[in-house]
Amino acid sequence: MNTTSRIGRGVVFTLLCLVAVSTVYPLLFMALNTMKSSNAFAINPYSLPKHFSLSSFSQLFSQVPFLAAILHTFIVVVPAVVMATFFSSLAAFVFTKTPIKFGNVLFWVMLMIMFMPGIVILLPLYVAIAHAGLANNFVPAILIYTAINIPYGTYLLRSNFRSIPDSVVEAARMDGASWMRVFVKVILPIGRPGILTVGILTFLNIWNELFVSLVLLHATNTEMITPTLAQLSGKYSTNVPVLMAGLLLGAVPTLLLYFVSARVFIRGMLSGAVR
Amino acid sequence: MIDEAGSPQSGDPASPPPPARRKRNLFPYLALVPAAAFVLLLMVLPIGQTIYHSFTYWDGLSSKYIGLKNFQLIFHNPVLPQILMNSVIFLISVPLILAASLVTAVLVYEKVLGWRVFRFLFFIPNVLSPVIVGVLFSTVFLPAGAVDKLLGGFGLGNFAWLSNPWTARAVVILALVWTSFGFGMVVILSAMTTVDTALYDAANIDGASWWRRLRSITIPMISGSLQFLSVINVIYTFTSLFSFVFVITAGGPGFATTTVDYYTYITTFENGQFGYGAALALILFIIVLTLTIVQVKMFPNREVQQGS
Repeated sequence: MNTTSRIGRGVVFTLLCLVAVSTVYPLLFMALNTMKSSNAFAINPYSLPKHFSLSSFSQLFSQVPFLAAILHTFIVVVPAVVMATFFSSLAAFVFTKTPIKFGNVLFWVMLMIMFMPGIVILLPLYVAIAHAGLANNFVPAILIYTAINIPYGTYLLRSNFRSIPDSVVEAARMDGASWMRVFVKVILPIGRPGILTVGILTFLNIWNELFVSLVLLHATNTEMITPTLAQLSGKYSTNVPVLMAGLLLGAVPTLLLYFVSARVFIRGMLSGAVR
Repeated sequence: MIDEAGSPQSGDPASPPPPARRKRNLFPYLALVPAAAFVLLLMVLPIGQTIYHSFTYWDGLSSKYIGLKNFQLIFHNPVLPQILMNSVIFLISVPLILAASLVTAVLVYEKVLGWRVFRFLFFIPNVLSPVIVGVLFSTVFLPAGAVDKLLGGFGLGNFAWLSNPWTARAVVILALVWTSFGFGMVVILSAMTTVDTALYDAANIDGASWWRRLRSITIPMISGSLQFLSVINVIYTFTSLFSFVFVITAGGPGFATTTVDYYTYITTFENGQFGYGAALALILFIIVLTLTIVQVKMFPNREVQQGS
């Protein structure tokens, strides 16, 4: 290897390290500052904490219904992710592997509304839900989150399932397998990485989303994590360590999910997102 | 989404069922029922209601047909030009996101030591909620906050970042770019892996510089991805800034960072003007739809993706 390319690689590595600092340091900043007093933070937000302390977390838990908000979020996210992923898989399977008439009409409807601003649908839905006496009820939120995640899930899985050879499906059909059986025994196993990716994406979408949760679940006994965090910033603008504790904990589930699934997740997005 | 525009028929394998089971098979139709029901009842139907109610006076309880009154009010609203202008200003984020994504993708593609780790780390902001990122940014940009402390080290004084229209917008744009470039990087990387390495070898033999290879091989070969990213990021600028604006600036100072969806939220859910809000939402929907169609028509080049 000659010197210029060695220098070049050194420069590239250094630049990559700088970008990595920008994406990792904010997490570290939050974590370190949870261990300080609000005074210590005000004096120097960049110093290392003097000693290990979890008092910010205990303050957070005693003053804000934080764990309840996490629980509420899981109550909504889990069924919505399962339903959106399963129904998207079914729809994508039908669109790619079965001889269905007019099926593509539905797919085109989904494409057209995929990037629609949420407020367009949430306005009438909010009024209808309030009229039905279902404000601050988890069920409408679960159903709406399921619905708004189906178009993108179906779109991703459709391009994903297309890479499954038709001959595999045809062989199973020749052997007398029903469509249901083809779906369960052929598509689900082969399409697993794509389906997992859609499940993860849907989880991240709902966990991180603010608008729907803010509008539909605003009572303390139903509030989800993002509205809770949004309010924290006003409440703890002078007690930043507690605020940082909340932000960090609010990010833990999505970070954990990403850390354990990054391989399959990034690959799954590569196979679908861009095609 | 985009590659479908030119080739609507390409999705149908249309394999005829084997002769043994020519009888009518209902499974494909039944399997579509859940997805169809969710999308039609909870998305398409509400869109219809929003369109209808944009022509009514609607306080959430009763509604009365008033023709184009809402739209007249909107177009005479002195705040509206400012809000539309804000969205145009926020479009600055699109070239910034594309540039950051391209630069990081090109760097990671060099495959230096630990490039997989870098790819992993660069995607982290993307899995964080805009609420978390927004609250963090709004905190560090407070007067005498963490950013001022850092700049103080260079002898600069305190600055009220979020009280000045331009710096407030810059903070929102920075937050958006920081959370978005990881996705762009992954998309561009995936396109780059499909570029034939023989092209680079040939360029090397011809003595082409690194910069020249980037300009003449990489960028043309990944133009499809760049187009895809520009389309979705333009749409996101109009539809996904709500969380950032809500937690970083609350639309301020004044209306300097108010976006159409945030303004719609205020008028409907805080002021109870549902008919007016419906008309605003409809205008936003039309803007987004138009932008999508225009962009897809503007760049018909998709051959790279379709080959991947």
